[in-house]
Amino acid sequence: MLKILLNTVLRSLYRQKAYSLMNIMGLATGVTCTLLILIWVEYETGFDKFHEEIDHIYSVYENQNYADGDVFSVYSTPAPLAESIKKSFPEIKYATRLVTTLGQLVLSVGDKSYVEDGGKIVDDDFFSIFSFPILKGEKKHPFQEENSIVLTEKLAQKMFGESNPIGRMVELNSKFRCKVVSVIQNPPANSSVSFDFILPFQFFEKLWDYDLNDWQANTFHTFIKVEKGVASDKLALQLQTYIKDRVPNSNVELALQAFVEYHLYAINANKAGPIWYVRVFLIIAVLILLIACFNYMNLATARSERRAKEVAIRKVVGAQRNGLVGLFLGESIFFALISLGIAIVLVELLLPVFSELTDRNLALGINNIKFLLSVSGIVIITGIISGSYPALFLSSFLPIQVIRGVSRKDSALLRKVLVIIQFSMSIALFVCSGIIYQQLNFLQQSDVGYNRNDLIYIEMSDDFNVIYPKLKRELIKIPGIYWVTAANQMPVNFTNSTWDVGWPGKTENSEDILFQLSFVDYDFIETFEMDVIQGRGFSRLQGEDSLKFIINESAAEKMNMVNTIGEPLRIWNYSGEVIGIVKDFNFRSLQVGVEPLIMMRNPDTFKYIGIRIGEDVEPTLNKIRAVWDTTVPDVPFTYRFLEEDFKYFYTAESRMSKIFVSFTLIAFVISCLGLFGLVSFVTERKSREMALRKVFGASMDTVFQLLLKEFFKWVLFSNAVAWVLSYFVMEWWLKGFAYRIDIGIGIFILAGFVSLLITFVTVYQQIWRLALKTPAHVLKYE
Amino acid sequence: MINTKNLIKIFRTDEVETTALNNVNLEINTGEFVAIMGPSGCGKSTLLNIIGLLDNPSEGELHFNGFRVEKYTERQRTNLRKENIGFVFQSFNLIDELTVFENVELPLLYLKVSGAERKRRVNEALERMNIAHRAKHFPQQLSGGQQQRVAIARAVISNPKLILADEPTGNLDSANGEEVMNLLTQLNEEGTTIVMVTHSPSDADRSHRIIQLFDGHVVTENMRQKL
Ligand SMILES: Nc1ncnc2c1ncn2[C@@H]1O[C@H](COP(=O)(O)OP(=O)(O)O)[C@@H](O)[C@H]1O
Ligand SMILES: [Mg+2]
Repeated sequence: MLKILLNTVLRSLYRQKAYSLMNIMGLATGVTCTLLILIWVEYETGFDKFHEEIDHIYSVYENQNYADGDVFSVYSTPAPLAESIKKSFPEIKYATRLVTTLGQLVLSVGDKSYVEDGGKIVDDDFFSIFSFPILKGEKKHPFQEENSIVLTEKLAQKMFGESNPIGRMVELNSKFRCKVVSVIQNPPANSSVSFDFILPFQFFEKLWDYDLNDWQANTFHTFIKVEKGVASDKLALQLQTYIKDRVPNSNVELALQAFVEYHLYAINANKAGPIWYVRVFLIIAVLILLIACFNYMNLATARSERRAKEVAIRKVVGAQRNGLVGLFLGESIFFALISLGIAIVLVELLLPVFSELTDRNLALGINNIKFLLSVSGIVIITGIISGSYPALFLSSFLPIQVIRGVSRKDSALLRKVLVIIQFSMSIALFVCSGIIYQQLNFLQQSDVGYNRNDLIYIEMSDDFNVIYPKLKRELIKIPGIYWVTAANQMPVNFTNSTWDVGWPGKTENSEDILFQLSFVDYDFIETFEMDVIQGRGFSRLQGEDSLKFIINESAAEKMNMVNTIGEPLRIWNYSGEVIGIVKDFNFRSLQVGVEPLIMMRNPDTFKYIGIRIGEDVEPTLNKIRAVWDTTVPDVPFTYRFLEEDFKYFYTAESRMSKIFVSFTLIAFVISCLGLFGLVSFVTERKSREMALRKVFGASMDTVFQLLLKEFFKWVLFSNAVAWVLSYFVMEWWLKGFAYRIDIGIGIFILAGFVSLLITFVTVYQQIWRLALKTPAHVLKYE
Repeated sequence: MINTKNLIKIFRTDEVETTALNNVNLEINTGEFVAIMGPSGCGKSTLLNIIGLLDNPSEGELHFNGFRVEKYTERQRTNLRKENIGFVFQSFNLIDELTVFENVELPLLYLKVSGAERKRRVNEALERMNIAHRAKHFPQQLSGGQQQRVAIARAVISNPKLILADEPTGNLDSANGEEVMNLLTQLNEEGTTIVMVTHSPSDADRSHRIIQLFDGHVVTENMRQKL
């Protein structure tokens, strides 16, 4: 039986090549997209899972509560926290602080120097909490001594080549010497914690002169590992007030995030985290697969005329309906299997592109049981869904009807519904991707309130206050350079904030306003070409300007100042006066609005040199390099364009939108196949009628118009459904952005136009094909 | 073997109501060869289809081997059909995607006959119909006469007690028609009951009895001399 089934399918496949091809390609495309998405989802959800006892690992984070009811969640926690909670709670077995080295460090071995920015600074418990395998040297407790360093295989190889690095000395910023105690495996790409080298925590104090007993400052990640069987919610509850108990006026409550969720889930309640993308793409995968199945149903039933005879004969000679249902299901599962074969080849071919698009190193998990199971599941489900309706429909034919040639009851209504659903889904996807594209474009091009083009910055690792004045003096002489300034952070992502601000007229209500804080040098405003609304920027010509503040519009508004310029202002224990108001500019993601900002001049904190250059980028850069090399000969010259950082800031979004748009287009193509199937079904059914009309002198035009009118009706209806749907979904999505576009009518019209155009072309093509046949041919074979 | 009592078949479409069969009373005995004749549209095919359980009568009774079958479910009819009745159609009705061999084999598949047995019986039937050399061909590669012989092979493969043939020679030239008639006659002589619709008086001559239909009525039942 199976052999005969296979034979029949293969032969009809061969006989109706065009149809089979459409059918298989439709399914294969659907399965390909679904597989790609699943591979990606598997990767994203598999993050960090290699840690052996990941279920016992938690990240301790802060919920900061503000006056207006806002809760702002950050991973940054105070330095003494880790050790303190480990002592207080016996169920906490290990606790570590973790912080990324602040910018670049210069690592030297002998006379060779390496500028590295991939360092992590941790406590020894780090190695007990996470399971990054240690390959050489001390395996359990690398940081028994202060002056130690752990290198990854990669960095060890780079610095020491083939020779054994254990016990060798590495110099840090030409100041500290530390001994290589262990070589650790390179962290895998799907690890949230990544590093090239690891330093013991004492270095944080040494390198950056930081007060490690301060319960008010928050800079460090805190990770803990609990004993088996500890109820995390109970522990979280106990931890909640831990900081408030030590800092009476604090607005901080502690919370726990399971490390399993670290990669995918945002700790801020109003942010979705990457899980949002995972969910959206899973939905898209399901939609695409459904579209492909509907497509199969359409095409399969469209060909029902051809199958009717076979069904009738089988029934005459003794086939029961159940058997026939099985036959057709078997057939669609078989088609799905072929599609899977093609899909696997396609996936292999597309994976490199898809990996680049997603910025992930994705691979087809042929040897991954879970993956294989889900793939088989997909194929069977695809086969069953797509075969269900054709099987029920075809097997319902009564032999007598076929033998007599009576027209069967029309299944057109259901098929119309299928096509309308299919088309609505695709058009909705089309509109959504259009709007997402527009929004992200808007974000990238929108005016951030300063000129981010032609701006480079240099990150300094050390000795800023010694080198910077010399550099600035030289740099400013270069003709291609307009302004040079310095700051503790660049405006792409300000991360320093405080609520410890005082001003006249401050009320209870404004007690907890969070102010962003930035330390900038003279000429900062000029370099970034920001607009001064009142007063002035910091300027050397005005003297030290050390206890002077510049605030942004939002801050001025929040503080409700009357005269502003000259008003006294206090931050921490710095008291001074406001000298200028700068127009609001963006210093965080555009998803967030502009927050109140205070800038002051504090050279001790400077880390970056910002340089406004002219059009001639290359020659200018060369000149800067020359100046650098003479001023700081032992540190290699590195720089970045602010514009690139800005783009980088949105890469996640723009990456996702690109993928979204690609999948949408594919869904659209599959739907077009569905439309094609429907149109050919209808024309096939009507071919006799049309042949007769032709015999009696009707022109093809009339026939064409008739059909077109009918299809346009359906497509317009699908559009209406899709428009409403996508409008609401997109309105909801856009609500998450402080800066957003208004949904315009253009994309809807475009979707309508494109779908009508495709309909037109398909109908035209089918009619044309029919017109080429002579009426005699059609009538004879009817 | 077959008994009908006041068989009525009415087709209702949106506009018209056609009475295809009107009070047909028939008795067909085991081993008989009956020809049904009459002008086009008089209800011959309708009668044959009802006897073959492909269609339901609107009213009246149908007895098959002593059982009342007119109210049978689809499943019961199919079972009865596949064990007892073979069909031969004017337009052959072979499945294009299957080879000659597979077409003939089909009824045996639904009877759950074992593979070896199937092979033996199909080859035997093909030999008998003189078409064995075409076993691997597809229907469209055969002449009309050959296709009809395949169809007959398919009809007899399950050793049915009754063969229903609707104008089996209608699409064939006289030489091929002759051959098909020879085969049917031979089957009848071996004991198979045959009911055949035909327009051809010479084909009808082969039968034992001719039933004349007119406008849904049986007008004459003409017993012929046994040869
Ligand atoms: N499914 C049907 N629907 C409507 N009318 C039918 C149907 N089948 C047969 N008829 C009508 O019943 C009558 C008998 O048809 P049929 O048995 O095919 O005649 P014959 O085979 O004798 O030429 C004809 O008038 C035909 O039009
Ligand atoms: Mg007839």
